[in-house]
Amino acid sequence: MSDQENRLIRCFESVFPGLSAEEIRGTGAQSEGIWDSLAAVTLAAVIQEEFNLDIDPEILPELNSFEAFRSYLTRMIPETVNGNS
Amino acid sequence: MKLIEALKLARRPVPETARETKIFLACGFTPLHLQAFLTAEMRVRMPEYRITINTGLFGDLCGNIERIDPNGIDFLAVVVEWGDFDPRLALRTLGGWRPSQMGDILESATRTAARLKSGLTAASHSVPTIVCMPTLPLPPMFSCSPAQAGAAETQLRHIAASLALSLSQESGIRVVNGQALDEVSPLNGRYDLKSDVLTGFPYTLPHASAIGEALSTLIQNRPPKKGLITDLDDTLWSGILGEVGVERISWHLDAHTQMHGLYQQFLASLSGVGVLIGVASKNDSAVVEQAFTRKDLLLSKDDVFPIEVHWSRKSESVERILKAWNIGADSVIFIDDSPMEVAEVKTAFPEMECLAFPKNDYDEFWKLLRHLREVFGKSMLTADDAIRLRSIRDASAWRDASQSRKNSHDDFLKAAEACVFFESAQPDGDARAFELLNKTNQFNLNGKRFSESEWRSFVKDPAAFVLTVSYKDKFGLLGKIAVILGRTSGRVAHVSGWVMSCRAFSRRIEHQCLKYLFETLEADEITLDYQLTPRNGPLQEFLTELLGETPGETVRLSKEQFASKLPPLFHRLEGIVHV
Repeated sequence: MSDQENRLIRCFESVFPGLSAEEIRGTGAQSEGIWDSLAAVTLAAVIQEEFNLDIDPEILPELNSFEAFRSYLTRMIPETVNGNS
Repeated sequence: MKLIEALKLARRPVPETARETKIFLACGFTPLHLQAFLTAEMRVRMPEYRITINTGLFGDLCGNIERIDPNGIDFLAVVVEWGDFDPRLALRTLGGWRPSQMGDILESATRTAARLKSGLTAASHSVPTIVCMPTLPLPPMFSCSPAQAGAAETQLRHIAASLALSLSQESGIRVVNGQALDEVSPLNGRYDLKSDVLTGFPYTLPHASAIGEALSTLIQNRPPKKGLITDLDDTLWSGILGEVGVERISWHLDAHTQMHGLYQQFLASLSGVGVLIGVASKNDSAVVEQAFTRKDLLLSKDDVFPIEVHWSRKSESVERILKAWNIGADSVIFIDDSPMEVAEVKTAFPEMECLAFPKNDYDEFWKLLRHLREVFGKSMLTADDAIRLRSIRDASAWRDASQSRKNSHDDFLKAAEACVFFESAQPDGDARAFELLNKTNQFNLNGKRFSESEWRSFVKDPAAFVLTVSYKDKFGLLGKIAVILGRTSGRVAHVSGWVMSCRAFSRRIEHQCLKYLFETLEADEITLDYQLTPRNGPLQEFLTELLGETPGETVRLSKEQFASKLPPLFHRLEGIVHV
């Protein structure tokens, strides 16, 4: 698992504290009772702060799962060979 | 603090036994991350409490404050922003910024300020209230360039400042100091327009963190330290007195020793608010005596007690000063220019904060003054703060006279011409009584401490009695020295709290308190919620003497039993109140 993915999991853990890393990887807007608008706003704020990013509000609605965030980060912050961004 | 840390802290498990503290966070914007930061800061500051933060309706700050049920919360934290004065001052509202509208905006802001004042004052009578005035920059809506302070903008700032002034004068309200916030959160890093427009939360995360910290500091309202022990040479003044003589020690600009003058001035200001100032110096006492007669000293000898001047170890002086003050080492700061003396005192009193006086370092000196203000700062002053040093001197004179007496203790007490004053605690909570309850250790019935909200509720409970006791005699005034609280049930008085300052020991005031309760409450029996604590030995001794045995957890004392043990009392009673 890359350092970037680890950090992303920690961000998710802070917003969804009851979930395991495995459950977090499967989390998304379809996860009933978990992914509400407050969680989405908080998660975006945590990730922007953690990765020093400014997420374009236009694409925010598309970032509706762990996988969507992971691939967004991969595009925005390509990891270096040793695994650090 | 980062948001991810705040969220984790806020969700950290709380011990089963934790007491709940409810905070109502009132703001006109959506509280979002501010709520997380405030919860996290409170968890750090008050780990023994389960913190619950509730919020009100978005966009209705005044209404949120006016609708509060003060009985259901322990603290009210209010964050005001410009948009609360008039929605046109916020960027989520499109109400117009034409110059012709400025008059109306100012009128509306004035009306809102009056409404906030009224709502906050009313709430603060029931619940401790913390207010943070606007911290965001005003929008670029004025006709002047941002470099110029125009009339409308200045008028708005004046409205906010006037409101802050009037709120800061209320005993139940603590206002966040904008200057302190400026130091940790630069103005140009506070506003997040994107977040404001998209989510209704106007702060950047660092600024939300700074406000959360500021609010939690004032909610916690940590008790200040009580005393400061200072060295003299190269600390209170510049120069070694024994070498240069009284005339050559200095603390002035022309001698380039201004920081010693500032230090004297600072200690005098601490003394003025009831902080005890003592001196520990290795010196010739006669020369020190002479130095204190210099008219240009900014710290008068009257501001200082005791003055320990001799050639023994500093730790011995400190020990004697602590004994005279009768307070713990953890409540005192020791300052000396010599790192060796600082280390020696620190070794003897590990719990005491011992600081080196930075005699040649202006930056460090500035930090020292700010640190001292932080640890000695009080949210409000009481009448007893002004007489504390005098009271300790008088108590010391009383002890000296008592120890050197030639006649019996009864004769001595009789000749002391003592007066005891009983009063009901003031309805706003009585800050001095609250302070006594939360800091007294030795004569303390059970060691129970009160939160501000618990204390206020108790004082307001019509079924409860809360008596404060003041004392004076021919040796001087001790001020408010005891608090007794409890409830009555038929002809039984249940005392749930009782503290008395150690300054007032050996004067039979404790006997007078019980006698007063029996008589005023017409009680046949008094029960006391006694609990042994690591430090309440004097209270235990008193009860043991009355009961003829070591007290258990609930002490029952009948009127007859008390009468049979009551020694002669010579106090004159004043200010009789019916409880």
